[in-house]
Amino acid sequence: MRVFGATLVLAMLVSACSAGSSVSVPADPDAISIGFAAEPANLDFTRTDGAAIPQALLYNVYEGLVKLDADGRVVPLLAREWTVSEDRRTYDFQLRPDVTFSNGQPFTAQDVKFSVERVKTAWTISLKSKMDVVDRVDVVGPLHARVVLKRPSNNWLFDMTTRVGAMFSPSGVADLANTPVGTGPYTFATRKRGDSIVLRANPSYWGRRPAYTTVYLKYYKDPTALNNALLSNGIDVISSITTPDSIGQFEADTRFTVLQGTTNAEVTLSFNNAKAPLNDKRVRQALTYAIDRKAVMATVSAGRGTQIGSMVPPTDPWYEDLSGVHPHDPARAKALLAEAGLRNISLRLRVANLPYAVSAAQVVASQLADVGVNVSIEPLDFPAVWLKQVFTDHDFDMSIVQHVEARDIVTFGNPKYYWGYDSPKVRELLTQADVGTPEKQVQAMKEIARTIADDAAADWLFLFPNVIAAKTKVTGLSRNQVSESFDLTGLGRR
Amino acid sequence: MILGIARRTAIFLVSVLAASIAVFLFMAVLPGDPAQVALGINATPELIARTRAEFGTDRPLTTQYFDWIGGVLTGDFGRSYVTRDLIGPQLADRLGVTLWLVGAAMVIAVVIAVPLGSFAAVRHRKVSGTVISGASQLGVAVPAFLAGILLVQVFAVQWRLLPSGGWTPPNQDFGEFLRGLVLPALALGLVQGAVLTRYVRSAVLDTLREDYLRTARAKGLMPGQALVRHGLRNAAVPVVTVLGLQLTTLLIGAVVVERVFVLPGLGSMLLDAVAARDLLTVQGIVLVLVIAALLVNFLVDLLYTVIDPRLRRS
Amino acid sequence: MTTAAMKRRTPTLTVGAILVGLVVLLAVMSFLWTPHDPTRVDAAVRLLGPTGDYLFGTDKFGRDLVSQIMVGARTTLYVGVVAVGVAAVIGTPLGILAAMGPRWLGEFVMRVNDLVLAFPALLLAIMFGAVFGASTLTAMIAIGIATVPSFARIARSGTLQVMSTEYVLAARAAGRSRFAIAHRHVLPNVAGLLIVQSSVSFAIAVLAEAALSFLGFGTRPPTPSWGRMLQESQELLAVQPRLAIVPGIAIAIAVLGFNLLGDGLRDRLDPRLAGRR
Repeated sequence: MRVFGATLVLAMLVSACSAGSSVSVPADPDAISIGFAAEPANLDFTRTDGAAIPQALLYNVYEGLVKLDADGRVVPLLAREWTVSEDRRTYDFQLRPDVTFSNGQPFTAQDVKFSVERVKTAWTISLKSKMDVVDRVDVVGPLHARVVLKRPSNNWLFDMTTRVGAMFSPSGVADLANTPVGTGPYTFATRKRGDSIVLRANPSYWGRRPAYTTVYLKYYKDPTALNNALLSNGIDVISSITTPDSIGQFEADTRFTVLQGTTNAEVTLSFNNAKAPLNDKRVRQALTYAIDRKAVMATVSAGRGTQIGSMVPPTDPWYEDLSGVHPHDPARAKALLAEAGLRNISLRLRVANLPYAVSAAQVVASQLADVGVNVSIEPLDFPAVWLKQVFTDHDFDMSIVQHVEARDIVTFGNPKYYWGYDSPKVRELLTQADVGTPEKQVQAMKEIARTIADDAAADWLFLFPNVIAAKTKVTGLSRNQVSESFDLTGLGRR
Repeated sequence: MILGIARRTAIFLVSVLAASIAVFLFMAVLPGDPAQVALGINATPELIARTRAEFGTDRPLTTQYFDWIGGVLTGDFGRSYVTRDLIGPQLADRLGVTLWLVGAAMVIAVVIAVPLGSFAAVRHRKVSGTVISGASQLGVAVPAFLAGILLVQVFAVQWRLLPSGGWTPPNQDFGEFLRGLVLPALALGLVQGAVLTRYVRSAVLDTLREDYLRTARAKGLMPGQALVRHGLRNAAVPVVTVLGLQLTTLLIGAVVVERVFVLPGLGSMLLDAVAARDLLTVQGIVLVLVIAALLVNFLVDLLYTVIDPRLRRS
Repeated sequence: MTTAAMKRRTPTLTVGAILVGLVVLLAVMSFLWTPHDPTRVDAAVRLLGPTGDYLFGTDKFGRDLVSQIMVGARTTLYVGVVAVGVAAVIGTPLGILAAMGPRWLGEFVMRVNDLVLAFPALLLAIMFGAVFGASTLTAMIAIGIATVPSFARIARSGTLQVMSTEYVLAARAAGRSRFAIAHRHVLPNVAGLLIVQSSVSFAIAVLAEAALSFLGFGTRPPTPSWGRMLQESQELLAVQPRLAIVPGIAIAIAVLGFNLLGDGLRDRLDPRLAGRR
């Protein structure tokens, strides 16, 4: 028993040492708590990759010149307006006056120059390459910034709505991992690792004051625990439900409203296009015919989601439904495999060790077994092992992972990307889309989407749904999740 | 006796050193490059090389080991590859959560096991004793996380009496802290209590068979009275050993319950660090866990000599 | 065993043997026949309640629960056999060696033993899973290694006991080699204790597999495993509790069976201890 006494005393001492570093959720009408699945490793998205950091901070703590609205349109934020030159290389941004950073510094064109140039110099994550196209930034006036590109690029302005477009103050970048300084409606207050981040309303915000003065971002590694937190009144909102079979519980309960929209997350069965036997288009097509994507969506996602048939979500301007290109047709699959001279092939399906991927892998394996393809499933630690073995070393035949980045169809223009798809036609079209007029862009992008679908460069199983469950009092949640941010600015209450 | 303690202390220290080397070597063979994981997809080889240099993972293993262990000796576990924060304070924070959970669970286990186990032993040929034995056997057979999931369903989701998870530190809101601790501690404590009940029962049974207790009973004492007066101290020896073992396995064994109840404890910190290939953090956690286990064994050894004078000579 | 002891015998051994027998029977039967293919996914029949065709219903993949439980019994036995096998094969000779070999060797073995004991099974399994990739085999080898100290300790103390008996002393006086003594006298006498330990360790391994599957370090899909069935059922607990209850009961039966079997064997082998544990 003495062991116990000692243990308890020790525990109390240790806990006391960690005083003040954490939070609980009081019943404050001005506070809201929102549950998320993935926790940021730190708060510095300039040097640490991962969707969780911009999800918490972008548009809420940090703002850019432009933002992406819920329908996928680029709209003004810190730039009141902008003009594009005739050769489509020069952008003139007129900045909003009276904007200050949370450390008190005013926001000016100097900060635009500093922030854009800093992406090239100080950022380390791979997304920094999105700013490679920038030639220079000129400070024309205190509230007038001019960005000159090396060549016309439609993608650049879009990328400015993502984290690479976030505006920083030269006096606010000393400790980005712990002390973010932005112009947004919220400021970072505290965080408790493994538990939560707290944001507070920024008293000197230039725009409309947010409805909730305190926001608790609570992190639940386990999706069931996240669901239970809402069911037991522990939180007010689930940012995105990842266990679709449990959505019925929330729909049936009058305490909650459930919103369903779309994301950018294509659940993709990727093929190793560079390696036999999947370098043979007939084999890829055969596998695509063999898989009943509606059944995959029914089992993995309780039938929720969108059949897309290519790498374009419905919120992109060049979306068209290509799910009928390779309809479910096992007989045709068998014929194509026979034509390719393959019998009893075995393939390694090396998937991310995440619930949706492991579930989808089991459906895919079962359906491919029906056409005589033997599949061995290997779940790999995500991200560490998957990144190393599948993504970098290309040691796989097939894989399943959600590709969550916006407009990631451009990866099909990179032959070194892990799926090893090499098509000069697609590369040429991508260049045309980027430098051309917006109309030309839409046309070229459609062509690309059709080409990769015809080639069965991958099998896009379905687009993951964005399902939000919230207490009925919470309003202003956006149905679609198309930006990198979980945008808190529109929230309100009944 | 002093010589014995000195010898045990020496063995303890050598074991800690050996354990630190084992833990370090284990990390060295782990696949997955922390630099690459931190940088994410599309990282260039130059960038990876630069980050490796920054982490110091490009140096020879021996240098890395001595650098690390030298720091640990002064309480510096290094900086995390992922959070870029000092690991030491994080570890202390997480360990605190786990110790509360495990401590509360062990209290529950003892409160259940000592009376029930003793009762089952005294009545071991009666129906009531057999029922308790059977119930404890059943309790042992339930995975702790299943117990946790069921408790959440009933008390949090259906009846909404207690939080389904999450952690409130005691110094912030003690009532909320206790409410949050009840279900996870029960999930862990009930199962451990069942395990412990079996050991208490057998320890008490052994004691009951000792001659002095027979004498006591011959003098007319009831079995229960005899036990309380003479037997408990002796029965405590094997029970304390089991308690020590349970404590060390629970520090990491609590991880499943931490996962169910989303508690920011040491186990969930370990799983996160493993997934993110935050090797320095993994190394620190494993070392702390192993040292804790060695320390508990060491203390149990010492405690023996206090509880049972007969063992002092050995 | 005296007749008095026989009369007092608890039904522990019988109940344990029946439960373990049930698990073995399910596993053996699954090689010959299962009601449905346990890994075949069929979206049309997902989440069915119990019917004549699907006795316990189907899971979210439309797979038959009965067939999965049957084939899962194989995994459970495999798990126990690997873990206990590793522990017994390494631990037993080490323990005997520690008892019969030179004093320094014995001391060294037991110190290393204590060191391994400081790595809890779950910790080792998580670390092994990270290094070698998650699979049933790696997890169970880790559990096995973590169990080696128990076997070594029991083998050592058993051997020390046997070595001090008169017939062994006589054999040593007659100049028999250590190896011969170990083979002829020690092993047969220690075997009983080891069998009891095997049964208890088996139960622990089954529980460990469940915990590891829950954490994603256990059996790989689509191989049916009771632990993974539990894990996959978690999100549906409120809607379809049957999905968790069925594998939960299966695990409890196996663990209970092996624990009772171990206790029963202990009583049988050492009547003095009848009624313990």
